Amino acid sequence: MKKLIALVLALAMMSGVMSAVAEGFTPAASYDVGERTFNAGTIALEAAAAGGGQVSSDVYEGEEGKDYTDEKVYTYNDYTSALTSSMNWDVLSWETSDDSAITDYIISGFYTFKVNGDKTGYAIVPEAAAEMPVDVTAEYVGSYGVAEGETGKAWRIALNPEVSFDDGTKVNADDYIYSMQQQLNPKMLNRRADSWYDGQFSIVNAKNYLYAGSTVYDAIPDSATALLEAGTDVYLDMDFWGVVGAPDADGNPAPQYVSVKDETEYRDAAVEDETDDEAWVSAKYIYENYLAEGAPYASYAPDYLKVASTAKSVTWDEVGLKKIDDYTIDFILEAPVAEAAFYVPYNLSGNFLVKKDVYEACKSFFDENGQPVDTEEEAATVTTTYCRSLDTTVSYGPYKLTSFQLDKEYTLSRNEAWYGYQDGKHLGQYMTDNIVVSVIADHATAILAFESGEIDGVGLQTEDMDKYAASDYISYEPQSYTTKLTFSTAYDKLVEHGTNSQILVVDEFRKGFAFALDANDFATAYTAAGTAGYGLLNYMYCYDPFSGALYRESDAAKKALVELFDMTYGEGGDYATLDEAYEAMTGYNMEKAQELMAVAADKAIEAGIWDGESDITLDIRVYNSDTIYVQMYNYFKAQLTEAVKGTKFEGKIDMTMTPDADYYNTMYSGGADMIFSTWGGASMDPFGVIARCYCDAADGSGNQMEVGYDTAAINMTIDVGGEIGEITDTLQHWAMWANNAVVDVPVISEKLGAFADYAYSTRCEVVAAIEHAFMNWFPTTSLYYRNVASLTSQKVNQASDTYLTLVGFGGIDFITYNYDDAAWADYIANNTLVY
Amino acid sequence: MTKYVIKRILLMFLTLFIITIMCFVLIKLLPLPAVREMGKDINLVLMRREKMGYNRPIMVQFFLYIKNILTDWDWGVGEQMYEGLEIWDVMMQKLPYTVVVNLYSILISIPLGLGLGIYAALKKNKWQDTVISTLVMVFISVPSYVYAFLVQYIFCFKLNWFPLQLASLSQAGSLFSGKMFISMVPAIMSLSFGVIAGFTRYTRAELSEVLTGDYMLLARTKGLTKAQAISRHAMRNAMVVILPMIFGEFIGILGGSMIIENIFGIPGIGNLYVNSITVRDYNFFMALNIFYTLIGLVSGIVIDISYGFIDPRIRMGSKK
Repeated sequence: MKKLIALVLALAMMSGVMSAVAEGFTPAASYDVGERTFNAGTIALEAAAAGGGQVSSDVYEGEEGKDYTDEKVYTYNDYTSALTSSMNWDVLSWETSDDSAITDYIISGFYTFKVNGDKTGYAIVPEAAAEMPVDVTAEYVGSYGVAEGETGKAWRIALNPEVSFDDGTKVNADDYIYSMQQQLNPKMLNRRADSWYDGQFSIVNAKNYLYAGSTVYDAIPDSATALLEAGTDVYLDMDFWGVVGAPDADGNPAPQYVSVKDETEYRDAAVEDETDDEAWVSAKYIYENYLAEGAPYASYAPDYLKVASTAKSVTWDEVGLKKIDDYTIDFILEAPVAEAAFYVPYNLSGNFLVKKDVYEACKSFFDENGQPVDTEEEAATVTTTYCRSLDTTVSYGPYKLTSFQLDKEYTLSRNEAWYGYQDGKHLGQYMTDNIVVSVIADHATAILAFESGEIDGVGLQTEDMDKYAASDYISYEPQSYTTKLTFSTAYDKLVEHGTNSQILVVDEFRKGFAFALDANDFATAYTAAGTAGYGLLNYMYCYDPFSGALYRESDAAKKALVELFDMTYGEGGDYATLDEAYEAMTGYNMEKAQELMAVAADKAIEAGIWDGESDITLDIRVYNSDTIYVQMYNYFKAQLTEAVKGTKFEGKIDMTMTPDADYYNTMYSGGADMIFSTWGGASMDPFGVIARCYCDAADGSGNQMEVGYDTAAINMTIDVGGEIGEITDTLQHWAMWANNAVVDVPVISEKLGAFADYAYSTRCEVVAAIEHAFMNWFPTTSLYYRNVASLTSQKVNQASDTYLTLVGFGGIDFITYNYDDAAWADYIANNTLVY
Repeated sequence: MTKYVIKRILLMFLTLFIITIMCFVLIKLLPLPAVREMGKDINLVLMRREKMGYNRPIMVQFFLYIKNILTDWDWGVGEQMYEGLEIWDVMMQKLPYTVVVNLYSILISIPLGLGLGIYAALKKNKWQDTVISTLVMVFISVPSYVYAFLVQYIFCFKLNWFPLQLASLSQAGSLFSGKMFISMVPAIMSLSFGVIAGFTRYTRAELSEVLTGDYMLLARTKGLTKAQAISRHAMRNAMVVILPMIFGEFIGILGGSMIIENIFGIPGIGNLYVNSITVRDYNFFMALNIFYTLIGLVSGIVIDISYGFIDPRIRMGSKK
């Protein structure tokens, strides 16, 4: 009997397997997305203004009715979660944002960004400089590499003669020369030296002076392959792989630059399992597998591959910083500064001034073996304790450090020797007398301290939002990041998943999914302070540094999104104006989503990538299985279920969620169906961000996270009018052009020249077209723009309620007080603060 | 006795040496943390690494490490946290806060714990004992950070009796000022509840057992009053078990409490050890490891020797 039952069961199982095999669906070998061309319409070309333009110098004059000079004491109580990473607020070598938080109070930059008169943006005004910079390139023709006819390479700075250190010692040009000599001191290798030789504001011979006689590394002048074939050694910047200083088998740390022929392996601490393939990596391995021609990150080769040379030994006289007189210095640069009215002050918004006697007293001298020696001349290494403790700190800014207690607190008070309190140019500023920054590591304690009136601002986390989201005292600081739901469209990889997730390659499916999501609801329900996001770039990005205009607020950017979500405006449209349509946007249209899903189902069946019967499972990879991810996943699942109602997908589609700490790499290798992807970058460079993050990123053929979506296979046509008319090139090339590429995009650059030749309004329109084109087939759909939320105390007022590019809410300069210290202590003792 | 103490001290150093060398070798087998970016502090770190022989065989490194400590009192500099700062300086800046807060806590906990324990033992199985024992179970079961949040919320935030955070030196003037003490009270309370409960439980248990001993009956029949019998005979016997526990708490003082210190803003040493492991700052790890090992070993000796003073019947090092 048992044998009979076993036989029957075995037959039943075999029958089940056979039927399953018989019913198994084999999708088509490939899927043709068809030709993709985006017509961006007409963009009228406007040439850039000569010199780029002018920045406002009209500074906000402060809050009306406030007495900035009364005898009462106003203290701003701030907090930080830790002070442990670094203890160095020396302008020449500061390391972390904790350091710069102190530095910013105790120095005056040559120029400073302030809230402008109508509190809509920023103004630039001289601070430690007396006037705006003057182009004196013509005076240096024939020297410092300046050629006849060049401009923008030498800048004269008239120094503010009122600047003094906190002991009253006046500052003159000699102090700046000494300070720069220390900044570039080859025996000190001060951390911030690279500000003066690596970037837009590179001083002539600064690098040679710093590395005199040593090997220096510069960007490759030709392709790495060509250089290697010609016998020139090429070096990899090990920072590309994050392994600078990583040990080799003998414990020797990896230098920053290693020959791409070098096979010495270094332990990559980021790979926990030492048996993993890439736990030990050599420069040769990284080059050959990631940066060589045809390798996935080949487009990064110019940034991370270098050629070596020996730095020329130069004297200080050959360095491009000259004292003209006691209160005038000239910066002579390696390359001209474009759009100088903004970028010269921008690059000189900090300072490098140190006080000579204190700086020298703080020095220690060591030989090659780390043994102390007596003089700098005989030393191999010079270190300093300047600005690492209260005793060694010197101020020449509006505040001076008055106490510093490790891991507990630091305090600053008005630097009465600061010229700004008497020069009449800072009226309506600096009402704050003292600043106290406490270390509060525990967030719950910080909230209690804020509610008790002990601190005047507090950052908020997701769990705080239920209580404070509607507070009158909440403010949002935008971050540059946009979080999106990104789909894989790599057909072969999706088929390999074996869950019929290849349905994602159908454009209408992704668009339908996107239309089923309400970004407003999502941002409110699942983020701490995020705001609904629809585009790739958020409200942080400024496209015109002269006006401070924000990309996301431009008509071109709004139009791109309104059209993307099939909204209409104007005569016969759903909305009267573009602004109305934009304001009404939620990204949500379930009816439309269902229509698109129905089309997608038919299309998928017709193309043979789905049989209309098999179950489909879409997997979303998330960082971990925290409650918030589960909630987000449930939201997607519910919306997808709703979107496929009444279509052939109904009842056949499901979602799963897989925690995967390495989900970006999983997606990039085609291992995921969907992920959350978050990108952002330099807020003053929306052009570069959209190119690097989306259209011309690492894999050399298109984008980063949107695997399978090839921007080199998408064409975009722009009608520029006139004799040129329509120009069609790949989306990748348009993005590269917008990121200032010329040679690599001949079709565009031969007709239009350089992107930088055009007015910012034109550049903005081009970027909007690129954004629209990229999102047009919904390889990704935005969910929210990231923000940081914080509460501001009833005691104080910020200059601006909304975040302004480069100046935030106005900063300590413009904070005003509703209570002085005594009145506030009395108020909080007798009242309960309600936020 | 002297011979015994000397022997124990010598053994202590041998143990310390063995533990130190084991930790040093094991830690050196791990990958060396990267030195990030260019800069003076990094330069200093590299220079110190050279001085400490980072590129040489591990045993040579160990010799140099010990030599630097013994000859220059050089424990190295922070590489991954407190970058460039002397390890010893950082520890010495932070240690007093941990010690003072915990010392206050112990000083309050000992009399209260012993008192409640004695009272509960004397009132064994009466309602007073039941109340005390119930509270003891509650306070032993609930972690101290829970009290910390409650203490902070009720006494600091709602009643406003104490500041939310420990006062800074700029506010209080010194570590031993009245203002500093008041600001320490919430932390002391939070630390004390569990310790008091622990002392109470041990004292009650030991004393209850001792009180039922025949010699207690004998003491009473000799004519001693109950108080005399308890103080002269019962307590002395009970302390043989309780005193080591008190010493154990003193050792814990130096360890600090990471959570309590974070909640009350105490710039102490509590999270230094864990952080040094998390961020792989090997210099901090080794220094703290030696420090804690030494404290533990010294405490062991002190506890052992203390037995002899509490109970004369215990003879250290005696063969008889």
